[in-house]
Amino acid sequence: MMSQDTRTRPPEQDAYESLDALDGAGGGASVAASDVLDRLWRFFINMRTGLWLMLAFGLMSFIGAMLMQAPAGLSADPASYDAWLKTLQPKYGGWTPVFDRLGFFAIFSSVWFKANMALLTTSILACSVNRAPRLWKLARHPRTRMGEVFFSHAPLRAAILVPAGPDTALEDVRGVLKAHHFRTVIDEGGDDGDLNLYADRFRWGPFGTVIAHLSFVIILIAFFVSSTTGFKNPNFVVPVGSTVQVGHGSGLAVKAMSFNDAYYPDGTPSDYASDLILYKNGVQVDRKTIRVNSPLKRDGISFYQAFFGEAAAMKVTDPDGKVLYNDATPLSWTSDDGEHSIGQFNLPAKKQVVEIVVAASGKTDPNIKAGQVEVNVFQDGTKAAVASQVVDQGKQVTLAGLSYTFERTRQFTGLIVAKDPGMNIVWVGSALLTIGLYLVFFFPHRRIWVRIRKTTGGSEILCASPMKRDLAFKPQFNQLITDIQFAGTPTSTTQEVGQNDA
Amino acid sequence: MLNLSQYSLMVGLFMVVVALACYILALTMGRSVKQAPVAAHARVGASVGSGSGAVEDPDEDPDEGRVQPRVAHPPRALAQYGTYLTWLALLFLTVTLVLRSIVVGHGPFGNQYEFSVAFGWGMVLAYVYIEQKYHVRTIALLILPLTAGILLYALSVGSTDNPLVPALQNNLLLTIHVAVAIVAYGAFAVSFAAAVLYLIQPEEGRPGLPKPALLDEIGYRSVVIAFPLLTLVVVLGAVWASIAWGSYWSWDPKETASLLTWLVYGAYLHARVARGWVGRKAAWLLIAAFGCVLLTFFGNLFFSGLHSYGKT
Repeated sequence: MMSQDTRTRPPEQDAYESLDALDGAGGGASVAASDVLDRLWRFFINMRTGLWLMLAFGLMSFIGAMLMQAPAGLSADPASYDAWLKTLQPKYGGWTPVFDRLGFFAIFSSVWFKANMALLTTSILACSVNRAPRLWKLARHPRTRMGEVFFSHAPLRAAILVPAGPDTALEDVRGVLKAHHFRTVIDEGGDDGDLNLYADRFRWGPFGTVIAHLSFVIILIAFFVSSTTGFKNPNFVVPVGSTVQVGHGSGLAVKAMSFNDAYYPDGTPSDYASDLILYKNGVQVDRKTIRVNSPLKRDGISFYQAFFGEAAAMKVTDPDGKVLYNDATPLSWTSDDGEHSIGQFNLPAKKQVVEIVVAASGKTDPNIKAGQVEVNVFQDGTKAAVASQVVDQGKQVTLAGLSYTFERTRQFTGLIVAKDPGMNIVWVGSALLTIGLYLVFFFPHRRIWVRIRKTTGGSEILCASPMKRDLAFKPQFNQLITDIQFAGTPTSTTQEVGQNDA
Repeated sequence: MLNLSQYSLMVGLFMVVVALACYILALTMGRSVKQAPVAAHARVGASVGSGSGAVEDPDEDPDEGRVQPRVAHPPRALAQYGTYLTWLALLFLTVTLVLRSIVVGHGPFGNQYEFSVAFGWGMVLAYVYIEQKYHVRTIALLILPLTAGILLYALSVGSTDNPLVPALQNNLLLTIHVAVAIVAYGAFAVSFAAAVLYLIQPEEGRPGLPKPALLDEIGYRSVVIAFPLLTLVVVLGAVWASIAWGSYWSWDPKETASLLTWLVYGAYLHARVARGWVGRKAAWLLIAAFGCVLLTFFGNLFFSGLHSYGKT
């Protein structure tokens, strides 16, 4: 009976440890570590380097997930940033300044993160450059014969005795391997009279690692493109009935025809929907009711339903009756104490800023009742209001020489308006990453070396295969051996078959 | 039908607990059989079986296996009952989820109760698959308590049928994104169990437990299945975020935690072939990585951020 040694780790395995780039522990470069560049190169292609960099990335992600992260753009305004830090004090206590110093509250834009990303990218690129040509060579010009040590020590191996002569046996073996979808390459060398054959399957599978690693770099590039090009306005507010310019040279303007928020009986929201008309250079180009999972897209710019609230329709006229402002002011900010909703608009002709204040949703303020707004007028550059009054709906009042009318409240819809050229790149990277991983894990390069030598009763067929990280190949290999055993010898009996395991 | 689903869950949980009891009994009896082989053999007579030991790795102790009959051996029979019960548990949990989906009208992934039942289902599914493939039942000693724990947790949070908030109203992505995550998490749980069993043994193995090399293989196989799925989960999450939230990545805590999980499993895959990391260090990474899975799963409860609708 033929037999195979299926020990996963024979003691002699070291004899062929790191057969080649596919089988070995990876990394091992052929250059001497004689100078700094070589050392650097070896550092970056070392798998342990990549491993530590990944773990460092993981550690930063852990910090980023566990600690509050500063909202984007906040650090540009030291006063608001300090105010934000103060809100963290109860949570992190004395650690707050320490974490802040270490950049933990903006970990993904910290110098640690950027440095680690740069190192990781270098490592990935170096590994790919190091590996791809070797894989190419293994796929295109595989080694077609192996030494005797390999046949006696490979993790998967078998020796079969068949009555047929070597040439017939070789054809039989090839037939079996081809039937199992293996490519076969006959060794042309052979000066010792033995016949050698190489067979493999899924030879492009290992390129999955290169694809997956490079896709990671593509995704990093996408992040870079996203953060440096395009735009994102997360607070694009359109009062119902008003038209607001998108800007950024797009020529687009959005008019909100309606906004509807619906709720389930238990009070949780069921739907937010804004009926939007899109104008380009004044001409209507689109109309759509957008929802949270159904944005509007035009010219690479997307409009997402994000939030909503109330706006105060205000009209301001000067003593001559000229209208200075006639629009809805979104009350989209909340005061620090959470008691009031606030909105503001500018009167450029008067160099004034007008602030509109109402009690926040669900709050009451005895001074500003329902149907009233407080109007505060600021002169440019002054901190104190030059005029302030609570105004009833529909009544005209005079403040700082101008007539103000609070006409009514209207709803506004809050949109995210974004143009992100990095998005398509990220999808390409994601697709390649997924494809690469499936290639690596589900199409492992399977290789078998065969040596056939003449014996007194026929031929001896030696088959051997490396198997690292691919235990699933064992049963297939066994099946192959069984098939080879019976190929072309329908009447052969098992006593003809021997084994190699000394 | 919601009640029916709930009953089915309780039956499933009961099956899990009884299966676990069977496995534990089989293991302890298997031990005592080994300590007193003469008594055991005297009773069972001369019939000859060829299968594996009760809870042990099939490769383990083949000599002993040969003199133990298939039917009359109590530990083996008990362990076999354990397996049947685990299949039943899987069946009942599947029924629970299917009924629930029919009632609520979307994949059973709308709130913490549904996620948790699905997570338990994913773990049993992954375990049943690995047991079929490798015949290693010892894994169950860790998987089934985890499953029972998550199902009890599900019962404790209550099964109210919250309607979906607008952000979750994307049936296709909700179903695929979470279903793939659940299967991946289940497989990760198996790799965790394999890693624990690997680490509690000395290098040469310990009688009664699967061989370290086999456990290493099971841990790796599970990650090989789960890692591309986790990648898909993160990618699908990015696709969904780009539709609902206006950008494919916002460093939302749950996003970040899933990235962390992905990175640690990625590190493990590299560790398994890197010199100096093969073996115990790689197994420790599997344990840390499963910690990350749990952090990602339960993160909704204490992370603020866009995923916070999972709190109820």
